[in-house]
Amino acid sequence: MGGPAPQKEPRTVEIICPEAIPLRFELGSITARTMAFFFDFFLLTFSGVIAIVGMVLLGILSGMLGPLGLGIVIFFILRQFYFALFETLWHGTTPGKRLLGLRVISKDGSSLGVDAVLTRNLMRDVELFLPLGIIAAPEQLFGDVPGWIVLPAIGWMLVIFALPLLNRERMRAGDLAAGTLVVFLPKPRLLFDEAARTSYAPADGSPGLVFSPRQLSFYGEHELETLADLIRKIDEGKVEFADQTIIASTIAKKIGFEGLEPWQMPTLFLRAFYKQQRAELEKALLFGKRKANKWE
Amino acid sequence: MSQGGAQSPRSVAFRREREAEWTRLEEMVEIALRGGLRKLDAWQLEELPRLYRQVLSSLSVARRTAMDRALVAYLEALAARAYLAVYGTRKTRRGALLEAFLHTFPRRFRALGGEMLLSAGIVALGALVAYALISLDPGWYDTFIAPELSQGRDPGAPTEALRAALYDGGMEGGETLFASFLFAHNAKIGMLCFALGFAAGVPTAYLLFSNGLMLGAFVQLYASRGLLFELMGWMLPHGIPEIGAVIFCGAAGLHLGRAMILPGQRSVADAIGEAGRRASIVVMGCVFLFAVAGVIEGIFRQSVTDDSIRYALALFNFTWLLAWIALGGRDGSEARLRFGGTRIKARSASGSEAA
Repeated sequence: MGGPAPQKEPRTVEIICPEAIPLRFELGSITARTMAFFFDFFLLTFSGVIAIVGMVLLGILSGMLGPLGLGIVIFFILRQFYFALFETLWHGTTPGKRLLGLRVISKDGSSLGVDAVLTRNLMRDVELFLPLGIIAAPEQLFGDVPGWIVLPAIGWMLVIFALPLLNRERMRAGDLAAGTLVVFLPKPRLLFDEAARTSYAPADGSPGLVFSPRQLSFYGEHELETLADLIRKIDEGKVEFADQTIIASTIAKKIGFEGLEPWQMPTLFLRAFYKQQRAELEKALLFGKRKANKWE
Repeated sequence: MSQGGAQSPRSVAFRREREAEWTRLEEMVEIALRGGLRKLDAWQLEELPRLYRQVLSSLSVARRTAMDRALVAYLEALAARAYLAVYGTRKTRRGALLEAFLHTFPRRFRALGGEMLLSAGIVALGALVAYALISLDPGWYDTFIAPELSQGRDPGAPTEALRAALYDGGMEGGETLFASFLFAHNAKIGMLCFALGFAAGVPTAYLLFSNGLMLGAFVQLYASRGLLFELMGWMLPHGIPEIGAVIFCGAAGLHLGRAMILPGQRSVADAIGEAGRRASIVVMGCVFLFAVAGVIEGIFRQSVTDDSIRYALALFNFTWLLAWIALGGRDGSEARLRFGGTRIKARSASGSEAA
C-alpha cells in the first residue's frame, strides 16, 4: 500500500439544499475571524470615540448637557448593535468579514433571520467582553462574592471563550445560541481547461500521438490532477524544457511508450497524454469505476 | 471532435456548452450577495432560479463524471454562493420593524410564559427575603444595597431626608444626560441577563435574585417609615417598564438555560439555537422598554413631584404594556415572517406566468 500523502484539507460543512444536493461550505478559520473582529472592533470604537468627542464639543459650544446624552446613546448603539446592524443589512457580513471573505449563514440552510443575527451578537458580551472585564477588573464584577463561586465562574467563562476551538464547526457561543456558522466564501475562479486545446496532429495526416488503452490504464485521478497542475505551470512558463523532458520520459518509460516525442517535444507529449488519460478515466467513471491513484 | 485519432474528454464538451451560463450566474450572484435580490433587474430575477438549478445539476454531474478538479472546485464554489444568493438573503420589506415590534415581540413573549413566571418569581423571592430579613434586623440592609448605590438612603437616615430624596429635583439641565446614562446602563444589564443564560441559566437567576434583594430592601426601608405610598409613586412610573424589562430579559436567559438542561427530543445544539433565536426578539423589545424607563426616570421623575400625576403615569404604563404583550400579534402574521426564503420563488413565478 502507500498512496499519496494526505493533503491538509480546509474544514467544510455540508448543507443539503432544497434541491436535495449536498453543498460544501468551507468554514472560516479562527485566524480570519479574529482578524475580522479586530477590524470591526477598531472601526466601531473609532467611530464611537469620534461621536463622543463631537458631542462633547457640541455640548461645550452650546453650553448644554443634552448632546452628551446623545453621545452616550450613540456609543451604546454602536457597541451593542454594530455587528447586528451590519449583519442584518449586509446579508450576514460586516466590513471586517467582507474584507476577509467571511459570511454568516444559517446552520440549517434557511435564510439568516434578524433573530439569529441578534442572538449571536447579544452573546458577545458574555463570551468576550465579560472575560476581558475579569482580566481588567475582577473585583468590579464579583465584588465580595466568595471564591467558591468565582473559580467555577471563571472556568465556565474560559470554556465559553475557547468554545470555537472545542467543536468541529468552530461555533462560538453566539453561533450556538443562534444556530449560525461563519463560512469562508471564496470567489469562484474557473481555470483554463488544458484538455480543451486542439490536439497535436502532424501535417502528413498521420494520427499523431495516440496512446493505447493499456498505456492509459496505468495512472489514476491523483496523478492526473498533478499533471494538470504541471501543464498549467508550463503554460505560465515556469517549467524549463529540461525538466519537461525528464517528466515526459519518466512517464513514457512507466507506461511503455516507444517514440522520441518525450525528448523532442515534451510539452505536446504531456498535453496529449493528459487529454487522453482524462478521457479514459472519465469513460471508466461512466461505468462506475473510479481510479483514485496508481496504486489502486 | 476526436482529432488525431484521440477522443476528447467528455467534460470538455460539457464545460463548453454551459460555461456562458455559469458566467452569467456568477455575475448575478455577485450582485445579490452584496445588495440582496432587489438589486437584480426583472430579467435577471426571472433567470436566476433556472440558472441556479442548472448549476446544481452541473455540479452533481461533474462530481460524478468529470476528472477535472479545477472544474469541480469552481462549480462547488459557484453553487454554494448561488445557493446563498437564492435562499440565504432575506428581503427586508417596508414595515418589517414595525411588524416585529407589534406582532413578533408579544408572540415570543407569550411563548415564554413559564420562564416569565419563574423569572418574576425569583425577583419576588429576593424581594421577600430582603424584606423579611431587614424587618428582623436592619443591619442586613447594607448587605443588599451597596453604600454608593443607596447614597445616604439607609436605615440611619432621618425620615425627612428619605422623603426629600423622593421629591428632589435632581441636577438641573442634566436630565437628558442622566436619562441616556440610565438607558445604556440598564439595557446593557438586561442584555447580559439574557446572555448569561448560556451558563445553564444560573447566573441569570442570581442576577434576578440580587435585583429582587435590592428592591425588597428599598421597599422595606420606606415602608418602615410610613412612606410606602410616596415611594411607589416615585418608583412605579419607570419601575413598571424597567423592572418588567429586567424580568423579561431574565426569562429570555432562563429560556436559553432551560434548552441547555432539558433539550427534549432535539440535540442540545439545536435546542439552544431555537431557544436563542426565540428569546432574542424579547430582549430587543426590552431595549425599547429600557429606553422608555430611562426617559421617565431621567426626566419625568426629576420634574414631576405630584403623587397623583405619578400614579396616573404608572397606571398608563401598566395599561399599554399589558395591552401590548397580551393582545399584540394575535392575527397569524407569523407565517409571513417565518418563510423568508419562499418569497423569492413567488416573485420569479409571477414572471414566468406571463410567459
